[in-house]
Amino acid sequence: MGNNSLFLIIKRMRTPMFVLVITFAVSILGMVLIPGVDDQGKPYHLSFFDAFYFVSYMATTIGFGESPYAFNYPQKLWVGFCIYLTVIGWFYAIGSIVSLVQDKVLAAQIALANFQRKIRKMEEPFIIFVGYNTMTRRIIDRLAHDGIRSVVIEKDEEKVKVLSLEDYVVEVPALVGDVKDPNVFKVAGIHKPNCRAVVSLFNDDAMNLHVALSAKLMNKHVMVVVEATHDEYGQNLSTIGADVVENPFKIVAKRVYLSLTSPSLLMIEQWLYGDPLVLRKKDRLPREGKYIVCGYGRMGTALEVGLKRAGIDYIFIEASPEKAAKARSGEKVIVGDADDKKILLKADIQEASCIIAATKDDLLNLSIIMAAKRINPDIYTIARENHMSDAVVFKAAKIDRVIMIESLMINKTYNVLARPLADRFIRLITYRGEAWGERVVKLLKEHINNNPDTMETVIDEKHAYALSLRLKEGEEIPYNVLYRRRDDWRLENRMLILYIRRGEEEMVLPDPSIPIRLGDEILIAGTKEAFEDVGYILENIYELHYVMQGREHELSLAKKLGFEA
Amino acid sequence: MNLEKVISGFFIILALTMNFGFFYGDPTVLDEHSRYELFGAIIVNLIATIYKLGDKTQLGAVLLATSLVADIQLIGAASIWALGEYVTGMNTEVVVAIISFSGGALLANIVSVILFTGDVLKSKR
Repeated sequence: MGNNSLFLIIKRMRTPMFVLVITFAVSILGMVLIPGVDDQGKPYHLSFFDAFYFVSYMATTIGFGESPYAFNYPQKLWVGFCIYLTVIGWFYAIGSIVSLVQDKVLAAQIALANFQRKIRKMEEPFIIFVGYNTMTRRIIDRLAHDGIRSVVIEKDEEKVKVLSLEDYVVEVPALVGDVKDPNVFKVAGIHKPNCRAVVSLFNDDAMNLHVALSAKLMNKHVMVVVEATHDEYGQNLSTIGADVVENPFKIVAKRVYLSLTSPSLLMIEQWLYGDPLVLRKKDRLPREGKYIVCGYGRMGTALEVGLKRAGIDYIFIEASPEKAAKARSGEKVIVGDADDKKILLKADIQEASCIIAATKDDLLNLSIIMAAKRINPDIYTIARENHMSDAVVFKAAKIDRVIMIESLMINKTYNVLARPLADRFIRLITYRGEAWGERVVKLLKEHINNNPDTMETVIDEKHAYALSLRLKEGEEIPYNVLYRRRDDWRLENRMLILYIRRGEEEMVLPDPSIPIRLGDEILIAGTKEAFEDVGYILENIYELHYVMQGREHELSLAKKLGFEA
Repeated sequence: MNLEKVISGFFIILALTMNFGFFYGDPTVLDEHSRYELFGAIIVNLIATIYKLGDKTQLGAVLLATSLVADIQLIGAASIWALGEYVTGMNTEVVVAIISFSGGALLANIVSVILFTGDVLKSKR
């Protein structure tokens, strides 16, 4: 018996069933043995059937009366005894069933069985999320729109209940379980071939390390995406083979660096993360003057690298002396509360051009910004927002730039899972310089429009049927075929191939005249209409024929009518 | 000595012996077969079934299956008896059906006892 819930029911019902059989047996036997008197005054014995029939309705308190004839006193004495015996037995059995239905262990077993059935039936690619919170909720929602399903492992039963009330496009199976037990990964389907990744975005790095380790040990082929905000954990994670280690503070530092040195690259990066392709006022940081960074923790140390590389003068304020003591010699760190006016004055806030409130306490960050603005109203303010629930107060505080750690993580994780080529492209362009960035932005804006969409695809039989047929025959087809329009092959669609990955080889902004190879992965920017055309050209042999030859595919009448295959 | 084993062994073997006691005799003559013995066989078989419930092992599953077969056969025999007595009337065909049903149950019980003893012999404690 593989089913635990059924086993549990049977085990709990053993004693009640035993009691029931014994009480019935004793009552029936008594009824058969005691002689009665029939309507003619002759002695008789109840048959086993009569006795069984009578006891059945007596025990269940249905009570149809005395049958087949009215009982005499010895029989009545026995029946009186049997009533108490069987009714107690019967009620005991019913009570056991009722308490079993309310039993938490049984409910958990039934929920587990349901979950396992859902995982077994899941045919689409899916991703296992460890921990359910505002971040994973948003990622799951976005992935669901892309047709990628999710499975959640969550320790807290209340959160799983909240999840079940959520209105996702597709069902999200959730399992109540602790990741400290590696078995939960097995139950969640880590061994299934369509399990794409395990994602763990806990605030606690040790927890993420634990998840990554168990997941990799259970199935070394599965992709593991984890958050790590401390360098030592990040290194450990890379050693055990975690595929993607995300550090939100490094992204922040990189963005600060990019906005100081090459705003166009920042623009492209933010665009690929889902923002519009524009540079807003908040993205332009002051390049002159001193920066005051409040908090020398994980974000502070990351910012230190970015600011130093950008050649900006900066000073830190840190409340904890231990953290301040970790600073390398030569770094300027003032120990004290950053929302204290005296400390801010000590850091020359009147002269500073920018203040970054980068502590892990949202309220403290707000109060730092308020204090700084009171002394120096012209200062450029940057605040770190740790929790999305605080968004309203941060908006009201009129801060120049709010860095939302959680939404950064959401976008980054979504890119890694659903748009891996865009994620790779961002990493490749980081150090290309402002001139290159400007050229790309100009290309995108002139060639396509002010806010292009992106598309990722693979040249294989599944995603590009028509094209792969021709490529297999050894035909040489250049990439510019994809640019051609379906209504007139001499015209070009508004699109741009940004990146091609061909095995180990990577091409950023490739020359469109290079030939297409099977297995190429391509990232395209363009309009929705252009993507529709590309889709047809890749998949449909007639459309492909037209854009290549400039005329319709010739077919015999018989073939058109379907007489010949 | 395991008390659990004593009790379950007792019921499994008693189920077989009572079943045999009812089955033994001329299959066409109902007077040679006691109705009390059939009743006892049914009850003991039911109890034996309950004892076999909830054993997750392979052997437990097969033991339970044999017991369920015996239950169905014996209850079938009792039902035919009731049917013959109150509906169709007793004739040789009905009597033979009752006895042969209990014979089927007897076979199932024999298999059950063989499996049980086999398990006991295999165990080293």
